[in-house]
Amino acid sequence: MNTEDLIAQLGRQVVPVKRLAPPLHRLMRGLAVMVPLLALIVVVMGPRADLAERLTDPGFAIAHVAAIATGLCAAWAALASTVPGISAWRLALPVLPALVWLGSVGMGCLRDWVVRGTDSLVPAIHPQCLPEIAIISIVPISVLMVLLRRGAALNPGRTAVLAALAASALASATLDLFHHAEAAIIVLVWHFGGVVMLSAVFGLMGQRLFPPPLPR
Amino acid sequence: MTGQDVGDPQWSDWMAAAQAGDQQAFVRLLSVALPIVRRMVAKRRQGLRDQEDVVQEVLLTLHVVRHTYDPARPFLPWLAAIVAHRCADAGRRDTHRVRQTSNIDDLPETIGAVETNMLAMDSAALHRAMATLPEGQRKALELVKLREMSLSEASTASGMSEGALKVAVHRAIKALKGILGP
Repeated sequence: MNTEDLIAQLGRQVVPVKRLAPPLHRLMRGLAVMVPLLALIVVVMGPRADLAERLTDPGFAIAHVAAIATGLCAAWAALASTVPGISAWRLALPVLPALVWLGSVGMGCLRDWVVRGTDSLVPAIHPQCLPEIAIISIVPISVLMVLLRRGAALNPGRTAVLAALAASALASATLDLFHHAEAAIIVLVWHFGGVVMLSAVFGLMGQRLFPPPLPR
Repeated sequence: MTGQDVGDPQWSDWMAAAQAGDQQAFVRLLSVALPIVRRMVAKRRQGLRDQEDVVQEVLLTLHVVRHTYDPARPFLPWLAAIVAHRCADAGRRDTHRVRQTSNIDDLPETIGAVETNMLAMDSAALHRAMATLPEGQRKALELVKLREMSLSEASTASGMSEGALKVAVHRAIKALKGILGP
């Protein structure tokens, strides 16, 4: 088929389509579903008894806010990645809060190391928190998947990584509210490390999760 | 019209009209965009013979993802991203083809059925033809024939009933025969 014939044929097939809303609007819609569900999980599991006290601890508060910011920025970036033409540097938005999160947790580990030495590493041996993060992530990832599949993920791996980063960071922040993880090394290895691991696994599944607009 | 599109044709207006179902606006947009797409593809795939195939894939992708365009944003970066994506795909196909190819010094005999070989090599044409099918037929064909799902699995995946899937596949094959010829 020559290209001019193809254009004529495509023209004949044009029907009205529902325009994709901007990424921020889609994020707001997603949060309207995600936040109540994540809040419900915290209520059902019971908020940790020392939550008010922990939130006044700058180290905990900064790490918690940074995890939420990482989740929100990654969710926006994932949604933006399904709109062709949005520049790559804007999709790197979650890197900044993720670095703040990593830095604040790393500082906690350093403080523990100074006080307890090698004993501070012992809690990291057991895979605590990871299953919980994976399970809680189901809520935000499901909502994001519905929103993302309406767009065009031209780079499915990148979209999948960003979506998983968003979901697992939000899950980690949710877990902070009802789960005791006193040792900073646990947060570093099993919260932050878990988020990285889940993002990598999803990245590998990108092609399956977000089929290309046309068969390859 | 905004930003980088200033001085260029009325891309945003045409795309907005196409999103609203205006067939003439879409044909006009594709016709005006065609030389630009050809230049972009030629730049990325210099010296390669499949440039027009990639141009057609760009136009098809533009058709399929036209709902993702926001008329408040410039059109050309959106188009350029689609061109880059299709060229990268073509590059991956090249790599795959090279990996699948073995050099043979002497070929004592070859498969006699030339027609079969020709058809096998024309998968790009098949994909392009598939992209022109209505959404339901394309989805049904992709699930049942390309992914080789059972009708029950395809029904679960697509939300269509098994009967509707059968009809859609039948119509899709009939339409493909019409497009690709006997």
